[in-house]
Amino acid sequence: MKSLGLRCAFALVLVCPAWCADTIKWPVSFDKLAKQAKESVDVTLDASMLQLASGFLEKSDPDEAQVKKLVSKLKGVYVRSFEFDKEGQYSMADVDSLRAQLTGWSRIVGVTSTKGENTGVYLKKNGDQIEGLFIIDAEPKELTVVHIDGPIRPEELNELGGHMGIPKIGTLHGSDKDTRKGDKGSKPAPQPRPDGSGDSGGE
Amino acid sequence: MTPFEEEVKKALSRHEPPAGFADRVLARAREQDRKQAARTGGWLRRLRSWRLVPVLAALMVMTGGIVYQEHEREARGEAAKQQLLLAMRIAGSKLHDAQLVVREVEQ
Repeated sequence: MKSLGLRCAFALVLVCPAWCADTIKWPVSFDKLAKQAKESVDVTLDASMLQLASGFLEKSDPDEAQVKKLVSKLKGVYVRSFEFDKEGQYSMADVDSLRAQLTGWSRIVGVTSTKGENTGVYLKKNGDQIEGLFIIDAEPKELTVVHIDGPIRPEELNELGGHMGIPKIGTLHGSDKDTRKGDKGSKPAPQPRPDGSGDSGGE
Repeated sequence: MTPFEEEVKKALSRHEPPAGFADRVLARAREQDRKQAARTGGWLRRLRSWRLVPVLAALMVMTGGIVYQEHEREARGEAAKQQLLLAMRIAGSKLHDAQLVVREVEQ
């Protein structure tokens, strides 16, 4: 009995660091930001919820069929988005605390504009295999973080272009693009909080 | 008339039944009917009235539970689907913005 307990403890010690390393924790301040924000989006879909959602996607609808194909291999989709009335409502320390957790991730796009916009697209790679996509978009009045956990290529997300109100555009290059610009392209439409978004358990 | 014939005649002669005989026969027949009904139809009635009530109640609860669970599952699934579509829309838009900037820089 004692040896069984020791074995379990040993297994936990072995498994926990790997599990913890995979988990990206949202800053605690995000809960406060949601209250301050004019609009906020909180999407937390783990593997079981993705499977459930996928079952309700219609194959006959081209948009939904595209998403269904995309999410079939995913382990989780997590989004936090806040839109504020005025600037300076969130701290860059929140963003930095997220970036600090992305050790082992490759940044494929880094955009810093003179208008205070800061966007980063990160990929988690295991050899040639992509195991996750992370997007941080920090604008003066808007902060959006997207974490897609599982095998996904940006090109696959790109295929959503032309669907669901996302404009179509060419492929994203896999190299690290760190650039400074005076302005950014199109701004995504503000997203309302969906019904039933109360299950914000975090990752 | 021989004594034998006299005995036969006496034995076969008409006798009036005692008073209340017909009522007693009818009463006994009714009693037997009641007993028979109690033996056959009674258990059905008892089963209907007592044993079937919890069975029916359990069936109704089970059916209600299944219907409710299915309804809940559909509601959760539909909400999850809307969240997923929203997440993909946001992710796609953000990626699209990043691509635009990269393109502008490349050109």
